[in-house]
Amino acid sequence: MQKHTFTISLFVGIFALTVLAQLGVINQYLQSVIMLMGVNIILSTSLNLVNGYMGEFSCGHGGFMCVGAYVTSVVTVLCFSKNHILGAPLLPPSMALFAFPIALFAGAAAAAVAGLVVAIPSFKTRGDYLAIITLAANYIVISAIDNLEIIGGPRGFMGMNAAVNGMEGIVDIPWMLLWVLFGTLFSVWLLRRFVSSTLGKGVPAIAQDEIAAEIMSVDTNRMKLIAFMLSSGIAGLAGGLFAHILGYVNPHSFDIMKSTEVMVMVYLGGMGSLSGATLSAVLFTVLLEVLRPLEIWKWVVIPLLLILLMQFRPEGIMGNKELSDLFPKLKKYYSFK
Amino acid sequence: MNTLLEVKNLKVRYGNIEALHGISFDVKEGEIVTLIGANGAGKSTTLLSICRLPPPEAPRVTEGDILFKGQSLLNVPPHKIVSELNMALVPEGRRIFGNLTVEENLKLATYARTDGHEAIHRDFERVYTLFSRLAERRKQRSESLSGGEQQMLAVGRALMSKCSFIMLDEPSMGLAPLLMYDMFRTLKVLNQEGMTILLIEQNANLALRFAHRGYVLDTGEIVARGTSEELLADPEVKKAYLGG
Repeated sequence: MQKHTFTISLFVGIFALTVLAQLGVINQYLQSVIMLMGVNIILSTSLNLVNGYMGEFSCGHGGFMCVGAYVTSVVTVLCFSKNHILGAPLLPPSMALFAFPIALFAGAAAAAVAGLVVAIPSFKTRGDYLAIITLAANYIVISAIDNLEIIGGPRGFMGMNAAVNGMEGIVDIPWMLLWVLFGTLFSVWLLRRFVSSTLGKGVPAIAQDEIAAEIMSVDTNRMKLIAFMLSSGIAGLAGGLFAHILGYVNPHSFDIMKSTEVMVMVYLGGMGSLSGATLSAVLFTVLLEVLRPLEIWKWVVIPLLLILLMQFRPEGIMGNKELSDLFPKLKKYYSFK
Repeated sequence: MNTLLEVKNLKVRYGNIEALHGISFDVKEGEIVTLIGANGAGKSTTLLSICRLPPPEAPRVTEGDILFKGQSLLNVPPHKIVSELNMALVPEGRRIFGNLTVEENLKLATYARTDGHEAIHRDFERVYTLFSRLAERRKQRSESLSGGEQQMLAVGRALMSKCSFIMLDEPSMGLAPLLMYDMFRTLKVLNQEGMTILLIEQNANLALRFAHRGYVLDTGEIVARGTSEELLADPEVKKAYLGG
């Protein structure tokens, strides 16, 4: 029983949050902060797989998030909202609950395929050169969408609320909050399973020494392909959720600024630590909200904090350790690897 | 005895420079064969070509063939050389994973093994018996080991990959003489248990006293070959490599 404490408390927590939101104890604003927190956790943990565990320097994570956001949005808009492409919605609103996870999956899959743009060059390049490729990938995605008039181009794309309304029409509970919480749980669980599996051990091996990994019979090309596609696929999931939280997407909310934000979260938390990435995503989201009264000045204060952090604790909050490495007693409360 | 590895007229280039000008040699099952030669003779290049390591290290084979049990290695990707053909390489400079513990390093070598926990456990015991120092330090981060211990770990790691043929690139480099003899004695034990060994060494004297046969490489060509006794007695080899 004790072994399941962690899992049980997670689900109880999700349930409690939903109930509190439903009863109106948590207002709309707090709900949206919690949802952004979830999205940020998904983003930072997924980038951590590439930048932390694999030791590459990918700075185009926003691009993959963008692919996921747009593909998911296009699917739900086609299905549930009146649009200028197909006219009438394809499905009745009562189907929203079943179609939404499929749309999220489609977005994640599309983002994973977009990840190939980075994964294939990574076979032969690494370090600074690969970083430039990831930067280019980000720009390619943003520019492509900017020029696609059919999905709004630079004006952005909207109509996703129809799907959310559809779900709320079935049972009136805060669906998006639930989806984000479960999406976060799923992503972190998936990444955790991957990096602690025997197959996943090839990822830190590549970070350390590619030649040595190859001698140890790690198929480095395949490993890179899996890691990049998994990372960008999960970023796509975050994008899909993000688009449906706001109900509106604009290509420029996924540009290099977004990628930088995610990178800041990864380096703040500590490279190669999932609990670090989670903690820093929570911290970063809270920090953004707390410093809101400073308005534009917060973009002076936050980088300053980052400089101080790098000065005095360059390895980030957690270094490459997990929470359970620092507090071994925690291991009593969960049984997963 | 069956021929295990056969290198035929191998020519290898790095960019525009030809590093090996058509060398041929073979290794038979159960043998210890050594390639000796001075710096820059092409010893490491030969090993890298056999393992087909990825760029930028990859030397390009322009002519000739490398056969392992009669099968050409030229189209086999490096990770399969370990997992399917049971060859292992102890690379120059050891290349152990510094931020992992000794045990994790050994465990990583079982990455592609599918023969079950029991066999892997037996191999752990074997490595810890051969190198008792590693057993003492199994929980220690491997970058904190001494040079000799790191070399033991590199050899131990190769053994963990269920190999029947092991290639070593200068295992004596940077080791104290006592540790060096220890290492060679352990390799001899492995050989008596049936392991085939291809050894690359600068320390020609030591290598020849330990191997069955040897080849002398000089600037990309094989200049002498024979049993260890023959090479040790050869006046040319004596003069060039054994210090008179």
